[in-house]
Amino acid sequence: MKILAIETATPASSVALGSGGTLEAMSVRVDRRGHVGFLMPAIDFCFEQTGWNQHDIDAVAVDVGPGPFTGIRAGIATAQAFAAGVGAPVIAVSSLTVQALRAATGRRRIWSVVDMRRGQVAVAPYRPLPGGVAPDGSAEVLGAEEFRAVLDTDEADTLVVGDWQALPEAMWGGLHRVRRGRPRYPSADVMLEIAAIRAAHGDYVAAEDLRPDYMREPDVQINWKTFRSEGLWP
Amino acid sequence: MTAPLILGIETSCDETGVAVLEGFNVRSFVLASQTEEHARFGGVVPEVAARAHVEAIRPLVHQALASAGVHPDQLDAVAATRGPGLIGALMVGYAFAKSLAWTLGKPLYGIDHMEGHLYAPRLEFEEYRPPAIVLLASGGHSQIIHVREWGDYETLGTTIDDAAGEAFDKLARFLGLGYPGGPVIDAESEHGDPKAVAFPRALRDRPFDFSFSGLKTSVITYLEKAKVDGTLPPRADVAASIQEAIVDVLVEKTFNAVEETGVNAVGGGGGVLANRRLRSRLREEADRRGVDLFIPSIEMCTDNGAMVAAVAVDRLSNGAPPDDWGADVDPSMRLGS
Ligand SMILES: [Zn+2]
Repeated sequence: MKILAIETATPASSVALGSGGTLEAMSVRVDRRGHVGFLMPAIDFCFEQTGWNQHDIDAVAVDVGPGPFTGIRAGIATAQAFAAGVGAPVIAVSSLTVQALRAATGRRRIWSVVDMRRGQVAVAPYRPLPGGVAPDGSAEVLGAEEFRAVLDTDEADTLVVGDWQALPEAMWGGLHRVRRGRPRYPSADVMLEIAAIRAAHGDYVAAEDLRPDYMREPDVQINWKTFRSEGLWP
Repeated sequence: MTAPLILGIETSCDETGVAVLEGFNVRSFVLASQTEEHARFGGVVPEVAARAHVEAIRPLVHQALASAGVHPDQLDAVAATRGPGLIGALMVGYAFAKSLAWTLGKPLYGIDHMEGHLYAPRLEFEEYRPPAIVLLASGGHSQIIHVREWGDYETLGTTIDDAAGEAFDKLARFLGLGYPGGPVIDAESEHGDPKAVAFPRALRDRPFDFSFSGLKTSVITYLEKAKVDGTLPPRADVAASIQEAIVDVLVEKTFNAVEETGVNAVGGGGGVLANRRLRSRLREEADRRGVDLFIPSIEMCTDNGAMVAAVAVDRLSNGAPPDDWGADVDPSMRLGS
């Protein structure tokens, strides 16, 4: 089972090729913009390193977020076209889960955090299992104070991973059961592990259902003066 | 050499357009318009546009290939708009096109959206060829371009403030007519008197440039005063007078350019070219001067995938180098630079 994984949910973009969940080649770049410029050369590089052909790919895994939207759409469009071009199925992976799985080494409960900008983060709790993690609640988009309130009521020893540096330092004061750790960003090599399990279960997403997990309504700002004609003509 | 098969993708603004061309023959033409999604905001919202593109792109590409009866492996090239436009919207189409081209082992051509508009009449008129003056007017652009040769363009005039379509949108909102402004003002004007109110025609001293913000101010000032004075004319008259002011300027400047360059052909593109008054005034003026007019059908004037593929037909035939796999979109791309 050969898998191409595409990760563009955060400023760290990465592409990986793996077989049976084992990493064979990977390319990474940290850059807020430029996902479109990065992706194809990175994919090209990974195929060159492995000597594989695009038609060898059995499934394409893509991170559907949450995360800042623009990059995710570039990743999804790239994954969709690749999958359509070779006739492979697509696996949708959550950025929060990718980070949690990378961090799962101890017994602490994990809060995975992705910066959504404008003072908000997407967060989700995970419980460690032997060799993995399991979701332990639903994902939410919260401000710093709201997330602090959630952590205050959490009884467990907790590890916060992801881009917690996006949150104000002051919010962490006095949280004695909370430790902060890595990774800061999700990455494509971890996606391969998730994708291999999903593929084994035939857990694919229909092409028409593949879209970003936005978790937030679109920003709508019309800067025009709101002209109104009410009262002009009866 | 047989005519190349080219897939064209356009996602620069609020239409997802995909088409398959065989040379300059349109084999398939599909479009997902987002007009209704943006109508409630009274204008194109970039994030809303990008969300709609990412949902529409794959099914539309599939549909375009299927209705053309073309297997992806048969394509000779993939083309997509690289700019100008909304960055998030451009990224969806360009990333999709790039990945598809790479996976199929075909060349990718990133196309300037404006050059696409310049090529669109070629898909409907065999006689359309340079040298020509082309009026491009939409919600995002207003330009007069001298097409000296395919690939050799000179921008003679441009808007110094609002695009023509933007002026229609804003004034339609002010008149309470809804969105998009061009079509609703066109419809409202049908029974109105275009001479009812003499709104100003701006930039008379600059032969090829446009300005529409003065018109906007003057309409608002006029209406507010007329309301106080109790001399408010019927809305249809105001709409027709606004439309006449915009159309007058577009027609006058286009033919100023014809006179200046001495060319014998006029083309057009962009959503504003769907306006019936503009189309008929261009026709009258072209006939009066004995100039050939090449304004394509409305669906070919508005943004679409066929015009993007059309540019790539020439690129491929001329042996132009395809885009680098590391190329990115260019939201502020400028024709000829
Ligand atoms: Zn356009």
